[in-house]
Amino acid sequence: MIGHPGASPAHLRGSSHLGAFPHRSVFSSFPLTSTATMILLEYGNLVLKTILKEHFANHDPAKPSSLSHNFADFDGVQFNLATENTDRNVVYLSISWRCFSELASYNAVSHLEKIYGPLVSSPRPGYDFTLAFNMSQLPASETERDELIENLSLLKRHALAVPFERAFDAQLKGDTLPLMQISYRNEESIWIKTDKDRVTVIFSVTFKDPADIVFGKVFLQEFVDARRQTNLQNSPQVIFYPEDAPAELTGVKGIVTDKEKKKSIGYVTFVLFPRHYDAVKRQNTISLIQTFRDYLHYHIKCSKAYMHSRMRARVTAFLQVLNRAKPEVVADKRPAAAVGGGVRSFRQF
Amino acid sequence: MSHPLPVIIDNGTGYTKMGFAGNHEPQYIIPSVIATRDSSKVNKARKGVEDLDFFIGDEAIANQNSYSLSYPVRKGQVDNWDHMERFWEQAIFKYLRCEPEDHHFLLTEPPLNAPENREYTAEIMFESFNVPGLYIAVQAVLALAASWASKDDDQRSLTGCVIDSGDGVTHVIPVAEGYVIGSSIKHIPIAGRSITQFVQQLLRERETGIPPNESMEIAKRIKEKYSYVCPDIVKEFLKYDQDPARFFTTETFTEAITKKTYSVDIGYERFLGPEVFFSPEIASSDYLVPLPEVVDSVIQNSPIDTRRGLYRNIVLSGGSTMFKDFSRRLQRDIRRTVDTRVRLSEEMSQGRVKVQPIDVNVISHRMQRYAVWFGGSMLASSEEFFTVCHSKAAYEEYGPSIARHNAVFGNTV
Repeated sequence: MIGHPGASPAHLRGSSHLGAFPHRSVFSSFPLTSTATMILLEYGNLVLKTILKEHFANHDPAKPSSLSHNFADFDGVQFNLATENTDRNVVYLSISWRCFSELASYNAVSHLEKIYGPLVSSPRPGYDFTLAFNMSQLPASETERDELIENLSLLKRHALAVPFERAFDAQLKGDTLPLMQISYRNEESIWIKTDKDRVTVIFSVTFKDPADIVFGKVFLQEFVDARRQTNLQNSPQVIFYPEDAPAELTGVKGIVTDKEKKKSIGYVTFVLFPRHYDAVKRQNTISLIQTFRDYLHYHIKCSKAYMHSRMRARVTAFLQVLNRAKPEVVADKRPAAAVGGGVRSFRQF
Repeated sequence: MSHPLPVIIDNGTGYTKMGFAGNHEPQYIIPSVIATRDSSKVNKARKGVEDLDFFIGDEAIANQNSYSLSYPVRKGQVDNWDHMERFWEQAIFKYLRCEPEDHHFLLTEPPLNAPENREYTAEIMFESFNVPGLYIAVQAVLALAASWASKDDDQRSLTGCVIDSGDGVTHVIPVAEGYVIGSSIKHIPIAGRSITQFVQQLLRERETGIPPNESMEIAKRIKEKYSYVCPDIVKEFLKYDQDPARFFTTETFTEAITKKTYSVDIGYERFLGPEVFFSPEIASSDYLVPLPEVVDSVIQNSPIDTRRGLYRNIVLSGGSTMFKDFSRRLQRDIRRTVDTRVRLSEEMSQGRVKVQPIDVNVISHRMQRYAVWFGGSMLASSEEFFTVCHSKAAYEEYGPSIARHNAVFGNTV
């Protein structure tokens, strides 16, 4: 977790004083290991894990089976997992992502080579980066295989980790780097600014739906307010700027200035100090901060789903009242063949 | 690429098939089940994040001791919208890992689905998930489209009779030019589960070594691995009795808890299991009409000008149609009925009427098991898909009623 164990954004969800979310009131009771309750999203790609696990388990060296899957991940990432027609033993995992060229300019490729070593292969046509491995050289033990699968499923995470690693390393050495921009989605970017004593990460967040703007802004305000609690004092500072970009981004190209368009945009700044990215916490910090945007949108959707279920419960209750208010029909006066066949009632489909 | 991969989710009664367009098979096939903690207190306001404390699919079943399971889809139709919405929530964010605002969605519905259900689906998809585009396709029509993969271009038609047999129910659905002929649909209570139960019953009478709590699983394994359809049940019995060594096999299983092994003889149930479709009286006395007869009566109930097309294109879909030689036997039986009828009418006309022979074809293809999903995958990977989707803008302009209109994709593909 970033900083204090209780300080991850996972625990900032909801608020204690918002009438709209009465159910999300108990901060301290949130479980710390949150994957069981799906508070945090997982970092690895589950589709990839599932397919590879099955493929490894069913692998028959005499008759290797073919693979061909296209699947997506958050932030417009597209994966392709395929075997070559000529040699089905070789499995290619390719990724395409709009910001990959930017990542490459921050030395992503050499960084990924450090992680994946000999697996790195030349990119297949239409994709930005490709890993290849041979089924005949799979590690023998189950745990090693699982490790390999886990590692492959984190490809996107490792790629996006590059600029963060770079910024943290530079800051610890006391250097400052020019502002790094990662345009990871069509309309949204991450900027990483390295100062003498800190690293600032800025997200631009856009909302397509007017309801989401309201939900999103409430949530983002909460990040700021939640930090005032005593047990969250060590967590990174989070600042939310609705509409206007923070001062760090003055002069950056592509910042929206149009008055109407600005309404659906916000900027979130995380201020990280060396204690947040020391040797122990660094990897976790990177993983958490990367999933911030997906996390935010996921929870907006969950909240809406929750409200919908409350609304449905309300409708059911009202229908019961309506049905109670129906006048009793005396049995012998009822028309023999009522239209629709019998007693009508208000009901929900 | 201009659009991110569309997502296809086929929510069946037993299993949910989901994945991305353009693939041959779904990325996930998970039980349509959700494990929650809150079924008893639906009307109570909650505190904390209990609304996120749930599992779906196999994980739900693994956690059934501490959670309560519920099946949001009943008889093909969504039964509990609260659970369905959360099921989708986790399916999208945890399993498929995609941002629903970026991807178009294709969902499926059973034939004769109430338009209200379609509106609810649209409401959830557009309001909660902000999907940019949504298409709700009828499962039978997708199954028809899936059979195109094995045909030449000129034979591709959206007229045909779909036999969709999953775990719970078998549907026989006539489709003419992409429109389901609702008045002639028939449902049969014989499907995968009833065959498993029948095999289980046969084993119970003969094999004593099977632990009772595993007998269902064993029956399922035997059904999936060994079963086939025989042309003639009497001859098949004879064949087995004359040469037992060739036909009887033994398989060894390991008990899950005690790790003891036990062996099971496998014999007549190999062909008796699927035979339930053709001679239902051997399994139960509740339902007695064989499948070929049902198919024939469904087609005879359909408008007269569609019947030839329906006989010509009988398409199989679903896991329980995967038995070896299933299509061959079905085709033979239906053809017999049809030929008898044709001969009878020629005789009755005393030679004045010469009937043009009726072509009966039962089509079996590679994508049969997940035919509905594969049909969706095919449709969604075409460029036209994005133009026939209901768009978010249209939803905001006209409301959920847009989902009542269904652009038949026969015109577009």
